[in-house]
Amino acid sequence: MINKNPYTWAGLGLLIAGVIVSLPAYFLFHMIWLTALGICMLILSFILIALGKAIPKLSPEVCSLLLETGIDNIATLIEELGIKTKAIYLPSSLASKYPKAFIPLHSNGSRPEITKALPQRLIARYGSSPEDIGLLISTIGSAAAGMLESKPGATPDELESALTSLLTGMLGVADGTRVICYNNHIRVEIHKPRLENGASWSHQCLGGPLATVVASVAAEAWDKPMTISHEEQVNGKYCVELEVGR
Amino acid sequence: MRLYNRYVLTVAIFLLLTTVILIATGQNSLDIYFTVYVIEALVITELYIYINKKARRGLAFVSSILFGGFTIALCLQIVRILT
Repeated sequence: MINKNPYTWAGLGLLIAGVIVSLPAYFLFHMIWLTALGICMLILSFILIALGKAIPKLSPEVCSLLLETGIDNIATLIEELGIKTKAIYLPSSLASKYPKAFIPLHSNGSRPEITKALPQRLIARYGSSPEDIGLLISTIGSAAAGMLESKPGATPDELESALTSLLTGMLGVADGTRVICYNNHIRVEIHKPRLENGASWSHQCLGGPLATVVASVAAEAWDKPMTISHEEQVNGKYCVELEVGR
Repeated sequence: MRLYNRYVLTVAIFLLLTTVILIATGQNSLDIYFTVYVIEALVITELYIYINKKARRGLAFVSSILFGGFTIALCLQIVRILT
């Protein structure tokens, strides 16, 4: 089936124009350059129709509505519980099918160590103490990491490739990424980001939308828990610093 | 979407520039025009490796059609030379 979007319409328009130009130009007027121009139109029309099929049927407005509703619900939950601790991004091996964010409800300053897979529940227990509980929630990063064709490898180059493919190719929210690793920290630079960050309570806890994507993909690549230690916007670049857990 | 736009614009600019250059050099063979177009389209498509899986599948189909056309043009040329 053909999706009705601007790419398809432009493709169909060029297809008709290409046929109208190239056929008479070749058979009636014997003008090679005009025929070639018609062939150009036909090639472009095929490309546009192929791209038109890959555009989602949902409009960007509907997607934005769904995203805002989801973020709003999580933000309300976190705000109501008064959680101030930073979320720990867990790989799928410690969370569930997809990487998830775990927010400890009680914190004594040190980061809790999660060594075994947590149960698939909103309120999950990670230790034997009664206070060792937290919220296990899905973030934008959880869904985004699931869009990757394969699990990225644990090298800076492979992570960079996976993030660029995701943020530039699939989501179209940035122009490129750069990954730098040092000690137990990963610094990710996102070039020309097109996703705005809020300044809500939940943002302090979970991080911005781009940071959640980066943290989830990195957690999956390294197969280790990650925490967003710092994020900032400088000179058209969005920098996210992650701390690798044990 | 921005990546798609950039890809389409790159292909369009290259194809039109090629047409202008070939016209300026007095090229009068449709096979040459078509061959250059196909090579350009295939190379640019390969360079855009970050285009998503679904779009890539569609573009692979377009590439195979273009390659088929190129093969037919090549075969016709060989037959013309041999006869």
